[in-house]
Amino acid sequence: MQVKFISLCVILFLLGIWGIFLNRKNIIIMLMSIELMLLAVNLNFVIFSVYLDDMIGQLFALLVLTVAAAESAIGLALLVVYYRIRGTIAVEYINLVKG
Amino acid sequence: MGAATNFTIWWRPGAPCSLCVEAITHGDNFSQHTGVRKIVINNNKKNMKELFINDFKVIFPELFLIIATIVLLIYGVIYSTKISENGTKPAILIRNTTWLGLITIIITGLLIINNPIKNTIFFYNCLVIDELSTLLKILVLVSTAVSIIISLEYFKQEKINSFEIIILILLSCSSMLLMLSSYDFISMYLTIELQSLSFYVLAASKRDSEFSTEAGLKYFILGAFSSGILLFGCSMVYGFTGITNFEELAKIFCNIECLQSDLPVVKLGILFLAVGFLFKLTAVPFHMWAPDVYEGAPTFITAFFAITPKIAILGLFLKLFLFSFYDFLFPWQQIILICSVSSMILASLAALSQRKIKRLLAYSSIGHMGYILMGVSCGSLEGIQAVIIYLVVYVIMTMNVFASVLSLRSNKAVFITDLRLLSKTNPMLAINLTLILFSMAGIPPLAGFCSKFYLFFTALGSSLYITALIGVLTSVISCFYYIRLVKIMYFENDARVGPSATRGLAYEPMDREKSLIIAITFFFVLFFFIYPYPLFLVSHKVALSFML
Repeated sequence: MQVKFISLCVILFLLGIWGIFLNRKNIIIMLMSIELMLLAVNLNFVIFSVYLDDMIGQLFALLVLTVAAAESAIGLALLVVYYRIRGTIAVEYINLVKG
Repeated sequence: MGAATNFTIWWRPGAPCSLCVEAITHGDNFSQHTGVRKIVINNNKKNMKELFINDFKVIFPELFLIIATIVLLIYGVIYSTKISENGTKPAILIRNTTWLGLITIIITGLLIINNPIKNTIFFYNCLVIDELSTLLKILVLVSTAVSIIISLEYFKQEKINSFEIIILILLSCSSMLLMLSSYDFISMYLTIELQSLSFYVLAASKRDSEFSTEAGLKYFILGAFSSGILLFGCSMVYGFTGITNFEELAKIFCNIECLQSDLPVVKLGILFLAVGFLFKLTAVPFHMWAPDVYEGAPTFITAFFAITPKIAILGLFLKLFLFSFYDFLFPWQQIILICSVSSMILASLAALSQRKIKRLLAYSSIGHMGYILMGVSCGSLEGIQAVIIYLVVYVIMTMNVFASVLSLRSNKAVFITDLRLLSKTNPMLAINLTLILFSMAGIPPLAGFCSKFYLFFTALGSSLYITALIGVLTSVISCFYYIRLVKIMYFENDARVGPSATRGLAYEPMDREKSLIIAITFFFVLFFFIYPYPLFLVSHKVALSFML
């Protein structure tokens, strides 16, 4: 029973990772993938919390939710600053510093 | 309210021992303050009183730093937006905010040094103070203060007028102090996130520069990714033990045999945690963000990134892996060893082909992280001692290098060939930089040699022969690129490139604050070998209190 739930969470988490690494187009998709990763972990915490009958998992999930919100806010702010200067948010053009 | 009733409700493993610890630290009030949440609900009122009596005293330095930061923020917001009636522009606050921030950091440092409570667990087992965290906190504060001091002149030259930079530096400093105190997955994750969120903004703090914003974006994506991996590791360990506290984890893993069925998943969780930490420490398979971010960020922010966060994250890493997961030493030792060896090799080879100063320094810091991880993977008392000594020496050398780089004319000195006429234009700085680079390469008798020697000696003692051999070889290779810088400073004065190149860069005289920093760190690096005992004693004490 537990394995099914965990495999769901792991699949969601891996989808998030793949979204970051296989995506060659758009940074907003990367931001969404990061959110997906964090939410998959959240689901994981909630399921474990129910399974173990322990409150700490739910507490952790709530705190992760707030952090994820702050993180996406900062990500979008950085995105806007970047767009203002470069005029594009395509991933392939983020190559000014390299080597 | 007796202790006996507590024991009946208690179901967490390893609890009685932690009760004893609580009893020692909190006198006879221990029954109310046990860390088990079910009891906490019953005695809520009394516990709040306990919280104010005991815990806020212990957290006072961090509390002071956070409150002072918020007051500085309010001060800045009020005075930078206030337009007076005769139409003058709002005040430029960067200089006085910087000095006030510096004073705040110094006072916090004094509070931490004079904190009467040296060793306790507080805030419901969420935070801890011990010898290791106190020492590393002082180191974090010193390095933050230094990176603020060396950026004073930079602010003036580049006309950076946003006081928010100092606020963000102070915020990340307070999060690093809390990170060194954290004793629970929850506090660990929250402090790491607070630190990283401040850093993403700091990396992009030069909003009109393409490089800076791009560095911020890159840092954001990879940093958020690594935090996600770290969190996934936390959730795995939590799911199969039901525990988020470091000490209880250490206790439950003491007898691994009875948990045999859950072990692979816990190991998976530990692997994810290790990967998250190695991302933050820029060890090699996970290093790709570091050179880009270091190059793109403004130079004084690069100095801050290179010096400070490594200390905090390494302290947390030591606490988590050598204390909580000590019984899984052999699984994670291999991971750390692989990362250590590959970062030593790759950093020394990749730095050979770099042409920009900041990228070179980034690769050099990756290499140093490889050496430090070699000490961590020893898993012994001497290993911790070697790591602490190496860390202190590394931090001091990096301070000096970045102060020197910032005192070249800051926006022009980008390529390593820009150091060309330094021996003519500023011979003192050239001598200083030469000796520091020698020390980084590990040439005796400078400080870098002492720390490296001790580290290799420890690795040999833990029978990591091949790793120590690779360490010595890569340190020979890395001599090449350090000494190449010295060659550029002294011997490329150059008739051959033509008159346009002989102009070089006109170096301005450096300001007094920076010269003081350079002088003090130079003195330390040069004369460390004569009287190294204080550092050895302190690190030995820390390692002892950590392992016992």
